[in-house]
Amino acid sequence: MKGNSRLRQLATFGLVALAVLALGACAAEYPNTTFQPKSEFARSIDFLWDRLLLLGTIVFVLVEAALIFVIFRYRRRPSDTSTPPQTHGNATLEILWTIIPAVILIFIAIPTVKTIFQTQAKVAAGALEIEVIGHQWWWEFKYPQYNIVTANEIYIPAGRTVNFKLNSDDVIHSFWIPQLAGKRDMIANRTNYIWFTPDSSLGPAVYNGFCTEYCGTQHAKMRFRVFTVRPEQFESWVAGQQKPAAFGAVASAAPAATGTPTPPQSGVGPEGGAARAVPRPAGSVIPGSDSFPAAAPMTGASTARLASGYTFPDHQPEFAYARPNSTIPANLKFTKGLTGNAARGQQAYSSSACIGCHVITGNPMSQGIVGPNLTHFGSRSTIGAGSFPNTPAYLALWLKNTRAMKPGSIMPTLGKNEYDPQLKTTVTTGGLDDQQIADIVAYLMSLK
Amino acid sequence: MATTAVPTTLSPHATLKPDSNSGVWGWLTTVDHKRIGILYLYTALAFFIIGGLEAVIIRAQLQGPNGTLVSPETYNQLFTMHGTTMVFLAIMPLSAAFFNFLIPLQIGARDVAFPRLNAFSYWVYLFGGIFITVPIFFLVAPNGGWFGYTPLTTKAYSPGINIDFWVIGLQILGVSSLAAAFNFITTIINLRAPGMTLMRMPMFTWMSFVVQFLVILAFPVITIALVFLLFDRFFGTMFYTTAAGADPLLWQHLFWIFGHPEVYILILPAFGLVSEVLPTFSKKPLFGYPVMVYSGILIGVLGFGVWAHHMFAVGMGAIADSVFAVSTMLIAIPTGVKIFNWIGTMAQGQLRFTTAMKFAIGLVALFTIGGISGVMHSSPPADLQQTDSYFIVAHFHYVLFGGSIMGIMAGIYYYFPKMTGRLMNERLGNWHFWLNFIAMNLTFFPMHYSGMLGMPRRVYTYDSGQGWDTFNLISSIGAYMLVAATLIFVYNFFASRKRGEIAGANPWGAGTLEWTIPSPVPEYNFAVLPTVTSRYPLWEGSEKDAESARINSQEGKTAEELGIILPYSTIKPMIVALSMVVMFCGLITTMALTFLGAAIMVVSLYSWLLSPLEPEHH
Amino acid sequence: MSAPAAHHYTTTGLDNRKIAIWAFIGSECMLFISLISTYLIYKGRSIVGPYPHEEWTSPEGRHFEPILDIPVTSASTFVLLMSSLAMVLALAAVQNKNVPKRTTGERIIGSSKLWLWMTAILGTVFLGFQAYEFTSFVHEGLTIRTNLFGSSFFTLTGFHGAHVTAGVIWLLTLLAIDYRRGLGPNDALNVDIAALYWHFVDVVWIVIFTVVYLIQ
Repeated sequence: MKGNSRLRQLATFGLVALAVLALGACAAEYPNTTFQPKSEFARSIDFLWDRLLLLGTIVFVLVEAALIFVIFRYRRRPSDTSTPPQTHGNATLEILWTIIPAVILIFIAIPTVKTIFQTQAKVAAGALEIEVIGHQWWWEFKYPQYNIVTANEIYIPAGRTVNFKLNSDDVIHSFWIPQLAGKRDMIANRTNYIWFTPDSSLGPAVYNGFCTEYCGTQHAKMRFRVFTVRPEQFESWVAGQQKPAAFGAVASAAPAATGTPTPPQSGVGPEGGAARAVPRPAGSVIPGSDSFPAAAPMTGASTARLASGYTFPDHQPEFAYARPNSTIPANLKFTKGLTGNAARGQQAYSSSACIGCHVITGNPMSQGIVGPNLTHFGSRSTIGAGSFPNTPAYLALWLKNTRAMKPGSIMPTLGKNEYDPQLKTTVTTGGLDDQQIADIVAYLMSLK
Repeated sequence: MATTAVPTTLSPHATLKPDSNSGVWGWLTTVDHKRIGILYLYTALAFFIIGGLEAVIIRAQLQGPNGTLVSPETYNQLFTMHGTTMVFLAIMPLSAAFFNFLIPLQIGARDVAFPRLNAFSYWVYLFGGIFITVPIFFLVAPNGGWFGYTPLTTKAYSPGINIDFWVIGLQILGVSSLAAAFNFITTIINLRAPGMTLMRMPMFTWMSFVVQFLVILAFPVITIALVFLLFDRFFGTMFYTTAAGADPLLWQHLFWIFGHPEVYILILPAFGLVSEVLPTFSKKPLFGYPVMVYSGILIGVLGFGVWAHHMFAVGMGAIADSVFAVSTMLIAIPTGVKIFNWIGTMAQGQLRFTTAMKFAIGLVALFTIGGISGVMHSSPPADLQQTDSYFIVAHFHYVLFGGSIMGIMAGIYYYFPKMTGRLMNERLGNWHFWLNFIAMNLTFFPMHYSGMLGMPRRVYTYDSGQGWDTFNLISSIGAYMLVAATLIFVYNFFASRKRGEIAGANPWGAGTLEWTIPSPVPEYNFAVLPTVTSRYPLWEGSEKDAESARINSQEGKTAEELGIILPYSTIKPMIVALSMVVMFCGLITTMALTFLGAAIMVVSLYSWLLSPLEPEHH
Repeated sequence: MSAPAAHHYTTTGLDNRKIAIWAFIGSECMLFISLISTYLIYKGRSIVGPYPHEEWTSPEGRHFEPILDIPVTSASTFVLLMSSLAMVLALAAVQNKNVPKRTTGERIIGSSKLWLWMTAILGTVFLGFQAYEFTSFVHEGLTIRTNLFGSSFFTLTGFHGAHVTAGVIWLLTLLAIDYRRGLGPNDALNVDIAALYWHFVDVVWIVIFTVVYLIQ
């Protein structure tokens, strides 16, 4: 019969699919896989998963095999006009197929309950405490033991237990680092905890973290990075973060697209005038770090780096998965060839709306607590909670029109003559021009 | 009621049916359960297609990384409406189509207990469905997810009109489901033909019976949760206002106390349909009938004790997690028993692979996968990796598509001849099934991988380089193939309705009561109320069964000739439904509309209740 | 309401409406369980007063007594209980309409109009108590928007009040029929169903009274 041969093909398809699962779990190109646990917590889940998968596969194979057998064995032969035995049931069978699944479930239930109590036990003393506060759509991280406040990135030392205290400032979010632990929701009026110990064998590495409870427009771009580092690197990072922000007074940055690899004919603006910061059509994917080369050397950067502590070295090819590659809006342009001045930037920053929402320790004007703490902004690898790489060019566009870069953002559109898609108005008075933005970029990038 | 007479003889008194049944007016005023069932079927299929198109846009957006087909705002509306549409406007009403059409036929009744209430249920569903669906065409659709978690859906975080449509729309649809459930409970308890004992009822009616209890016990809970949200949004109460000390988990508990039984509301009717199809095409009675009944009841009862397994990540504590884990695992046992009994039904039979049979077997094969992945996240620690990832999306699509939709499709192919008098085209059906089966697996199986490889749900886009690209591409290709499969189905449906082969009373050689009467079914269903002596009157029935079957299979007599009194057609239930929806519309426009709607509703309701259901008996 | 159901065959011999009302009451139970559970979950969670059983002084120094007035509500509870009694008598009167009445006492006991009126009036009095309670709470500074207690209290008791209101309208409708053509034993089922609903609403109030007012 036609259907039978197709069923045979399907059976093969199923087996192939299972084989792919086994292979897929090991392959290196899955940076967020839950199949390669990197902490004891994730491993205990993986142990349960393995058992569930094994038992599930056995049940699956047996049931589908029985089904396929019955389909082949008992299909009606065209010649057969007899009536099959009119059985109504079989008590022995019924008892058997009630008890067997029950027994299988016992083999799941016992390790399940054990793991529940293990992983939800009180954390051992001496753990690194990190407070996580969810905001629409970014992460606030506090290290109460070290008096550090940061955003969207955490450093944790390999081998030391970390205890996360989870809260939300607004709607429900959920905290997930697939390779390190399961999820835990972050809920206002309710404090949750999750703790785990990243394997001490881990070298410096970065893991993607995600918000996994739908939390509104930009739920998709509420991401964070976790850097597992060696204990001494962690100490150095802590020391750097504890200092007030330092920046080279004459640091400059050139956020313009002066060195883009795309030929100039794609620029639609007049010669020497405004050109597209990103000369790409809408919908194109930024292929990697080449799109926004650090155009001009950051003169203040080297001194700043001396003052700051350890920072995870960015741009390593093996950690490319941690580098965001979101598309940027096609009609968002930035003037070519501007050079930012950090000192001017500090002034511009301190006299603009920025200070209403952001804290920069070391800048007494900047005391707002609504948005992320920017004290060591220059040491971070992404902006917009993992929306874009933290480079001058992206940052310039971000400051110019956050709500075009990340629709729905609470941070308003700041660029002069830019259209704010939420307020449905164009920013006029008080808007920042491109030079001011370039200066602020230079200032922020220098906060190492 | 001692004077009750069973009209088993043909009465010489002919009563003229007061209203014409033809034309649009006939459909607007009908109180015939079969016509209402068909209205449900068409409407639900239309919503199924709308929900499917929403899903296709979602898959097109996620086909590759950094998709820009739709904006994040639009995407969030699309996934919210896809879920809401499929649950409340497609699968539930598709089941309701069968409740309406089949239950009276299967138990040997001439109509449901409250024919006008039945019409009312349908019209409320239609108007409520329109109310909640129209905003998507103007991109102001609900955007809080089908689960509507607070505080995201409160005014503070969703100030727009979007969520208002959702809160009010679900409230309206709840009225429809509840009214229908009271009706069917009464029908099944009270209108079974003589001899149709509970343990002789066809399995579809049994599963529907369980579902109605789930509806009447689960829907009040969501009603209250929605009332709180509505009051919060419109009248400034504080049920979900965290600043006032509210617990955001209140909503989740109320929602899932409803939401988990809702899952069984969606799947049990499909189980019932499959339990009708498999015996017929195996030429064998259902294996383990009593166990099938008890397991269905057990699933329903346990369904109320497992809601918090949707909340393993909220931090309920180790004890609550353990309790809900074990209760969830327990529910796998009666579900497994059903699967085994279906295979037992087929074993030793003579299987005929009609399209209906293929879809039924498809349910057994695919629901098994959904069931197994369900057990996988009954273990809370394991669930902490799976929940809110694409793994869950894979799981519940195996349950709802592989389960409910496959079962409903089996039901449509199986009962199409009873509804229309014609058979659906088997060749096209074969194409539909195989394309559907392959595309379904292509769409949803890769989601197991993308989920376990770290892809969160409800994201409008994702970065490249995360290891998800291939799986998403395969899923999207599968979704496009599902469109093709559905197009074949739609064509087959309409073409067969016009030109399909004439079916006759019992084209499949089935054994249950509904196949003893002509196809399409005369408006009075049974010329004489049958006397039932077995589960399969046409297979193993006694002389009595055969006698009533013989009378009932005769075609061409009108109710009037047979002296059967049928209810009047009436427009009143529709007016009441419409004015109720108008009343709710007032909440988002002007209070004047609310009062107007309420006034019309009260007047038309009184007019309905005080007018007689049917002509006086002679 | 006026369907001539007696002519149709039913499996149980009971009228369809009788079964439907029990299903409806089962459903209503879940409705009130949800409301009462919410009240209990939010008990003691309000950040600001007034509170049901505790005193409270606002940050501005305004003093609030415990807001629930148990004696008054006890009276209204008694009224509602009495209305159930009247309902029982009304049903009996309709069922025994055709039994000849000899004494004045029998005529009083057998008057369906009297007992229906009595039930409706007692129900209305209960609603009056509730209206008085709501207004005085608002005057004392507790509204549905004040705190979690206010939201859950007004919604719970308001839902119950709405049920009583619907019941009173139902009773008045029966009365209208009684005046128009007289309610007889054939209508007993209609009255019986109304009575079931009325008793249910009454029982729910006993639970609410205990949970909200009596348990501190």
